[in-house]
Amino acid sequence: MITQVRVRGLMFDPYNNAYIVILRDEDNSDMLPIWVGKSEASAISFALENIAAPRPMTHDLMKTFLDLVDAKIISVVITDLNENTYYAKIHLMYEDSEYTIDSRPSDAIALALRANAPIFASEAVIRKQTSEELEQWLENLKPEDFGKYES
Amino acid sequence: MEQKDTGDLIELKVLRIVPDPNTETQIVILQNDRRSDVLPIWVGAAEGNAIRLALEGVVTPRPMSHDLMKSFVDHLNVRVQRVVVTDVKDRTYFATIHLASKGVERTLDARPSDAIALALRTHSPIYVTEDVLRRRSGGNLDAWLAKFETRNFGAQEA
Repeated sequence: MITQVRVRGLMFDPYNNAYIVILRDEDNSDMLPIWVGKSEASAISFALENIAAPRPMTHDLMKTFLDLVDAKIISVVITDLNENTYYAKIHLMYEDSEYTIDSRPSDAIALALRANAPIFASEAVIRKQTSEELEQWLENLKPEDFGKYES
Repeated sequence: MEQKDTGDLIELKVLRIVPDPNTETQIVILQNDRRSDVLPIWVGAAEGNAIRLALEGVVTPRPMSHDLMKSFVDHLNVRVQRVVVTDVKDRTYFATIHLASKGVERTLDARPSDAIALALRTHSPIYVTEDVLRRRSGGNLDAWLAKFETRNFGAQEA
């Protein structure tokens, strides 16, 4: 089983000096936080805010490459969580065949946003996510730590 | 199809990547085989890291962004023929990635950092146009490089 999720927020985690992408399902009942690096966060933030950089950034280049060879991103799926490392798959359609490519969730999300492709999370990942710990952590966050995508 | 203008291209190799001590950026030092031409290009921290990992042959537990790009190239049976640093405007360098897909050559506009990070992973040659080499920024670049060489390159060699 997989659940469609959307990027609902992007915030800075001052304790780990990293960024967190908040994914939520349509009912806002499940939440999946994904810790990403600074440059990946910036790639996601540019796509969320529809900012076109003067020069193509790395994920813009990937998208242009896929467009150029006529490959289409069908979907991306966050598939697994193992010792705080998340795994994702990018599903591509190319010449009537489907290809599945291993990726970090940060790259997969940055690409999905550029390609307007849906993002899914496997049930196992959402279940594994220890929400108790997360909620405690979220309580410690100040409102200004949140990005403006939280709706 | 081969481009006609390959005559004024000079092949460069990535000699080193060094952190710019004054900023968060990294400097990619490109050099030709005869060591007569040197081209330093300033790149961002993440892109510099992507180049360093490829130079040092480091395999990360999870694919980094440019590894993913290489994975796309491999899965879709596309060949990276070469990358070319084509222009410099206001100290910003421009590059193109030349691809062969189904027998057709296509080019992609890219930042040199991404182009180089991909070239190193696909073992593709890196070129610069003579014109760019002539117009590389900084008149006393060689003196600057020489100073930099003695001060900062030592640690990179280890």
